[in-house]
Amino acid sequence: MCGIIGCADTDDVLGMLVDGLSRLEYRGYDSAGVAVTNGSLAVEKREGDLSALEDALDGTGDELRGTVGIGHTRWSTHGPPTDVNAHPHTDEDGSVAVVHNGIIENYRPLRDELSGAGCRFVSETDTEVVPHLIERERAAGADRETAFRRAIDRLEGSYAIAAVFAGCETIYAARHESPLVLGVGEGANYLASDVPAFVPYTDRVIYLDDGEFASVSPESVTVADVEGTPLDKPIETIEWDPEAVGKSGYDHYMRKEIAEQPRAIRDCLRGRVEELAASVSLPELEGLEEPSSVQLVACGTSYHAGLFGERLFQRRGIPAQTFVASEYDAGSVPVDEDTLVVAVTQSGETADTMQALRGANRAGATTLAVTNVVASSAAREAEYACYVRAGPEISVAATKSFASQQVTLSLLASALAGPQSHEFLRELRRLPDYIQAVLDRSSVRDLVGELLDADAYFFVGRGYNAPVALEGALKLKEISYRHAEGFPAGELKHGPLALVTAETPVFALVSGREHTAETIGNVKEVQARRAPVVAVTDVPETVERHAEFVLEVPETHPAVMPIVANVQLQLLAYWLANALGRPIDKPRNLAKSVTVR
Amino acid sequence: MSVSSAVVLAAGEGVRLRPLTRNRPKPMLPAGTRPVLEHVFDQLIDAGLGSITVVVGYRGDRIRSHFGSTYRDAELTYVEQHHQLGTAHALAVAAPVVDGPTVVVNGDQLVDRRIVEAVVAGHDASPVTLGVLERQAIGEYGGVLLENGAVSELVENPTDERPYRLNAGVYVVEPSLFETIERLEPVDGELSLVDAINALLAAGESVRGVRSDGYWLDATYPWDLLDVSRSLFDAGIVQDAVAESATVHESAVVLSPTVVDRGCEIGPGAVVGPDTCLGENVTIGSNAVVKRSVIDAETRIGPNATVDDCVTGVGVDVGHGSIVPGGPSDVRVGDRFFEGEPIGALLADRVTDRGGVTYVPGTIVGAAAEIDAGAVVHGTIPADAEVRS
Repeated sequence: MCGIIGCADTDDVLGMLVDGLSRLEYRGYDSAGVAVTNGSLAVEKREGDLSALEDALDGTGDELRGTVGIGHTRWSTHGPPTDVNAHPHTDEDGSVAVVHNGIIENYRPLRDELSGAGCRFVSETDTEVVPHLIERERAAGADRETAFRRAIDRLEGSYAIAAVFAGCETIYAARHESPLVLGVGEGANYLASDVPAFVPYTDRVIYLDDGEFASVSPESVTVADVEGTPLDKPIETIEWDPEAVGKSGYDHYMRKEIAEQPRAIRDCLRGRVEELAASVSLPELEGLEEPSSVQLVACGTSYHAGLFGERLFQRRGIPAQTFVASEYDAGSVPVDEDTLVVAVTQSGETADTMQALRGANRAGATTLAVTNVVASSAAREAEYACYVRAGPEISVAATKSFASQQVTLSLLASALAGPQSHEFLRELRRLPDYIQAVLDRSSVRDLVGELLDADAYFFVGRGYNAPVALEGALKLKEISYRHAEGFPAGELKHGPLALVTAETPVFALVSGREHTAETIGNVKEVQARRAPVVAVTDVPETVERHAEFVLEVPETHPAVMPIVANVQLQLLAYWLANALGRPIDKPRNLAKSVTVR
Repeated sequence: MSVSSAVVLAAGEGVRLRPLTRNRPKPMLPAGTRPVLEHVFDQLIDAGLGSITVVVGYRGDRIRSHFGSTYRDAELTYVEQHHQLGTAHALAVAAPVVDGPTVVVNGDQLVDRRIVEAVVAGHDASPVTLGVLERQAIGEYGGVLLENGAVSELVENPTDERPYRLNAGVYVVEPSLFETIERLEPVDGELSLVDAINALLAAGESVRGVRSDGYWLDATYPWDLLDVSRSLFDAGIVQDAVAESATVHESAVVLSPTVVDRGCEIGPGAVVGPDTCLGENVTIGSNAVVKRSVIDAETRIGPNATVDDCVTGVGVDVGHGSIVPGGPSDVRVGDRFFEGEPIGALLADRVTDRGGVTYVPGTIVGAAAEIDAGAVVHGTIPADAEVRS
């Protein structure tokens, strides 16, 4: 699980590689490295985040000058983060260097076989088998490309791999179930796990598909299939603005992305809602009929968006259920072509979600990807794709993509299930301003000082608010490292209440329009245990008697209120983590788009 | 040495534009349908300045989240002035990121690129060069006295009869000015750029004044936003247009000049314009009539409402059949009284009226105030107030 980058230029590439890695750090950041070829092959790699590598590079001389190179930022799966386990990996005499994102499932037998043949391994990684396999093919007389292909042929599992050879101006790359894109520039060409890595250098990209091989040199980019037959792949122009990948003066990407939500929602809604005509149109779904049932598959924050979507479908009379993608088994859940399986994934590359989506495709379901990344694997492999239009999201803790997923699912349910309430559409259109109102006036920052000394934090809500309670807890644990749990409010008395004390603040989401009295009843249960209660509500007058603190949101439709209330919880997680001095954009042990299962 | 960078001073609130500035600074108020600051950036970039440092302060988040780290390929760097202690203080905050001569402009006034270009072209080795314009009635602004192309004195809000020209607030400054600012004594707790320049003059330094043509627009009071938008239509800076993603019912009428931004909806029988600007996602209900108004994003004008000479903030809700008759009217702002200003009503962010409300011309309603159905309102209503009928 990692980010890879490659560049073949007519000029020195080291600066570009490090710059590109800085924009891939969200994919993992426990170690990083580069390899540059210039007659011989030079490698520099370090445990720690990119700054450790940059410090090491400051101490190197001309050996890392060269016009072709690859780089890697790692999120450990096999072997702890150390200098030795960092990529790139090489063969024994350093004639080939390899970077890899994914998991090689058969690396054990391969490693045993190679060790038996006399290869000496220095790292604990699965990746190191690849340079040794290539080197053995070379020793047997194969040319570089053939050796690379034969080595890849031996691998099982998921991978995006790039290799460079001493004294060769071509980067060889291959992809299977891990993302890899090629960038077509002027006098220089690129490859990377994700477009932002090279977006300042070129906006023309080729998306590699599974089973394809690429050769990237300063003059050309060629793609071929497994048999070696050249493929004529379309070059697409992406519209991402490289700006969107800077922090704009904010301390953290997360803070910036929270502040961008009004803009993200306006973009999400544009051209899709006509309030006065009470209609929602998603032209990308043309031909999609109202399904007999809906299954949403997703992980993490996207799973919580799925739970929200599930409630929207159910209210419109369509049976719907959300699955944690890694637990989804299309073979045992009954699906047919009238079943719509919706894969919700910000990156469109999440390995668990992709696995579930592929299973659904095989089982004959109708499939739809709800994703933020145009032409991502999910978008290409599902029958239909609907984009959430949140713009690039860099922070590991997802914020604006969640809001945009909720809105997109609201539009989806409305588009598929016929007439919708006029008020709901009106409130969706007002949503950007409601969120702006929270951003403008939230008092949560002043509150966190009172909440720092706590044993745990609980989040509760009912109905549409229940998924946001789960999300609020997830956000807090991700970036503050504090224990937090979310529950449907009614579940408190069935267990969790035993944990509630004066040292466990409880955040209660209370809509003024649905489940108000029941939720306040649950609040009283925890108050009786002396837990400090923070109410997030659109009816502060009704709730303030029952809460120590009130975080107000504009009064709105019960299905829109959780989207707004969640912004208060995002700010809570942010300011609490900030007060604790946590590395907010790079929480320990986590990575942005998890492309390993 | 050529000048390729600019510092934009955008940290101040603009208190005279209250209550519109409750949630955002003056540079983010709408001129047409876009923030004033966006027009400022456009002119700087058109004048060839590719690197812009923005000094933010009051509600600076609104600026950063709107623009991000580049705008039209120009790189934006943000520095924060934590306390708004004057324009010279703001400039000094940017000193660490400025090297060599740089353009300095105010982020809350619209200046023509030609003024910027003239000042850059006219800059020599003086520590400061500033742009001046021939204008009548400078009393509200900064006056400049010139002798043979050299500035002899700067006077704020001049009241005497000397031949003042208008200080356009466009400067090219050399880094040496920062030393002068460091030695400057605050006046009323503030360090102003005008005082810094007067200190330079007192020390015998030369300051050039460059005369030029071009538009220069400043909204001093909220109702000036109507004039500013009208002037932008006249200057062709804001185009008469309906965005592609906007929906206008076939029986609705849009009278030129009017700009309808993205995502707007205009219902059956509505009449919008002339001289009207609708920000993003504005909804105009059926048979409503809106003219000579600046309506900011996500605002809704209910069915059958009549809205003339009105400025709204974002997320305002004008109910069914409410009436904002046009100016001229008498308006009170703080302890000052203005007569015959062309303002129907000024509704700050998220004002809600529940329908059938009549606004006496000149009414100013504070942010998030709620007005009951059928009320007749006048004068100044504070933020968060509830008005019962």
